[in-house]
Amino acid sequence: MNRWKRLAPVTAVVASAAMVLTGCGGSGDDEAADNSKLTVWMMGEGSEAQTTFLDGVETEFRQKHPDTDVVVQYIPWLEAPKKFQAALAGGEGPDVTELGNTETQGWAAQEALADVTNRMSGWTEGKDILPDLVKNAQLDGKQYGVPWYAGVRGIYYRTDWFAEAGVKPPTTWDELVAAAKAVQAKKPGTYGIALPGNSELPFYSFLWGTGAEIATQQGDTWKSGYTTPEAQRAVKFWTDLVTVHKVAPPAAAGWNEIDARTQFATGKAAMAFGGSWQQGAIKKDNPEIEKVWGTFPIPGPDGKPAPAFAGGSDVAIWQDSKRQDLAWDYLTVLLSKKNDQAFAESLGFFPVYQDLVSGDKYTNDKIMAPFATAMQNTKLTPLTPKWVEVSRTKTVTQAMNSSVMKGQKTVEKATADAAAEMESILNAK
Amino acid sequence: MTTLTETPETSAARETPARRRRRVDRLPYLLLLPCLVIIGVLLLWPLGQVVAMSFYRLNNVRQLRGDREWPWVGLANYVEILGDPFFRTVLRNTVLFAAANVLLTMVLGTLVGLLLNRLGRKMAAFVASCVMLAWATPALTGTIVWKWIFDDTSGLVTWLFNALPDGLSQSLFGHSDWTGYGWFNSPLLFFSILTLVVVWHSFPFIAVSVLAGLKSVPSELHEAARVDGAGPWKVFWKVTFPLLRPVFGILIVLSTIWDFKVFTQQFVLAGGTQDRPTFMLSIYSYAEAFSPPPKYGLGASIAVILTLILLVVTGLYVRMVLKQEEDA
Repeated sequence: MNRWKRLAPVTAVVASAAMVLTGCGGSGDDEAADNSKLTVWMMGEGSEAQTTFLDGVETEFRQKHPDTDVVVQYIPWLEAPKKFQAALAGGEGPDVTELGNTETQGWAAQEALADVTNRMSGWTEGKDILPDLVKNAQLDGKQYGVPWYAGVRGIYYRTDWFAEAGVKPPTTWDELVAAAKAVQAKKPGTYGIALPGNSELPFYSFLWGTGAEIATQQGDTWKSGYTTPEAQRAVKFWTDLVTVHKVAPPAAAGWNEIDARTQFATGKAAMAFGGSWQQGAIKKDNPEIEKVWGTFPIPGPDGKPAPAFAGGSDVAIWQDSKRQDLAWDYLTVLLSKKNDQAFAESLGFFPVYQDLVSGDKYTNDKIMAPFATAMQNTKLTPLTPKWVEVSRTKTVTQAMNSSVMKGQKTVEKATADAAAEMESILNAK
Repeated sequence: MTTLTETPETSAARETPARRRRRVDRLPYLLLLPCLVIIGVLLLWPLGQVVAMSFYRLNNVRQLRGDREWPWVGLANYVEILGDPFFRTVLRNTVLFAAANVLLTMVLGTLVGLLLNRLGRKMAAFVASCVMLAWATPALTGTIVWKWIFDDTSGLVTWLFNALPDGLSQSLFGHSDWTGYGWFNSPLLFFSILTLVVVWHSFPFIAVSVLAGLKSVPSELHEAARVDGAGPWKVFWKVTFPLLRPVFGILIVLSTIWDFKVFTQQFVLAGGTQDRPTFMLSIYSYAEAFSPPPKYGLGASIAVILTLILLVVTGLYVRMVLKQEEDA
């Protein structure tokens, strides 16, 4: 007894060392065959809609793979880049992950995501996915992600205030300014339009509305479209809303979309830019607003709705995953037309299948119908992994617009500077 | 002869205690070892890594894992950073901000320290606990509260400015409606608010340290000076300051280091890494290294530059303090 007591620490050390050694030695071989667990990373906080839906997907998936346990982990949107970097650096990542569709190319370039080109071409249902969205998840002609759901930005407005001021939802730029001014005059202390001066995506609708492009590729070089008269017209219109028409406050230069949305939700603004998926958040801030809100597509300068950026999510297979076949099976269950429709709707997004978006499914939904209209005419930001640096790190477009709103630069100077910076990033070797 | 016989004896007599002392001397090092190991693993090794990384082109996470080669680029990262006109803006921001903040923190901290020394026990306890509250608030939490105070619609400051008589506000600032005012729009205003937040966070430490120093100064010295007819200004500069010079030296060094590498407060007030005109070295390094697409090598070289600047500043102060001690 006594001897054992003395030996106990030694035994413990030896045993744990043995465990460590066998654990290290064996794991590599074991994992290749270990299909007992599939790790799935989902963005967001794990709302009730998300968890219920994903439980259903798991049940469906396990009919085919009864021995696989699906482990879903929720990652807040803003945490995702750090979480991805850490996973990539440490080698312990998910098998399947959701990611924002503006980020897919960047992570593909970082070799985080598996090439699913072949799997995609052998998948019948996937052929109906909107081609623009499919292209957005490609890098050098290879497919690195599969579109899951998508949405566009439009403008939310207060129907009651519009009625009081006697204005209708605008269809041209001039009408937009006129409506904003009319409501602001009628409702002192509020803003005509909550403008997210520090966000780029709503602005692109104005840019594309004039026919300008962000950047185009000619051979190997990218050329920014910001120095064209059309682009300058868009920048002038966007910034004039703050500086000349004063239908948004100077602070708007620093607002992002959430700040702007909150202004609308809390009854401080008559209009706000927002995606269809933000209905829930707006209602959460102000449940009463449901009675007095409406939406309309972002107008172009001359009466046609402007093209909109199709934001949303892709699903990808992690390149380091040792269970890629299993992961693909899960992905196709998750993205079946039936599931896609159900989930997209619960989030206020649109499914990515052409046949599910077109048709007249949304015509009777007063909030979704204008977004469905905008979904018919979407555009993409430049397709290069370097775009994320322009968009996120250097925030070229946001800086251009804010500098004009803050009165630091003229439209000509700001657009010229932004074009030069964008080209130097996109054309860097 | 006598000298010959004496010499070995004395040398032996000298040697024995020396040898004994040497044997004893190992103990302190042995005791220091765990601490040194921890410092080595947690500080020196990462520091070495950062320096090493700054000489490579590291644009892919897989390189960190060792899956991909590390292409050696020599000083290219440094050349790129130092040649970028934007770096000059960042450096100017950092130096001016640090200088202003060290000065303000030291002045305010010293004044509060002097005040605490003069107050009665109850009042001193009250003021000290108020001051400590600012210190005890975590940087993140405190800054979020400050951001709310400067909120453009419902912030306290916006409300205060709105409460000013319209005419006064109009004549002073040119407008009377402050709702929706962009408090963080201009870099100068942004830096003023940042300075307010950082000074608010860091002056309590200075105050408490100065107070501790003051408590060690015999009160007779002050009395004697006052009897000789010196006013408070003169007493401070002729008696208190010279006596507390080492304390001030170390406080200035610490403040300089802290204010050079301010990150949390700036990150929160600016809402991330979007507001490039207000970048300072630490947030610049972070943004380059970790914002997609990652540029770890470039970010590391900025961190090294920041470290070198701090080493130079600290070195100067340490030399100054040492020299003063020699002179004294």
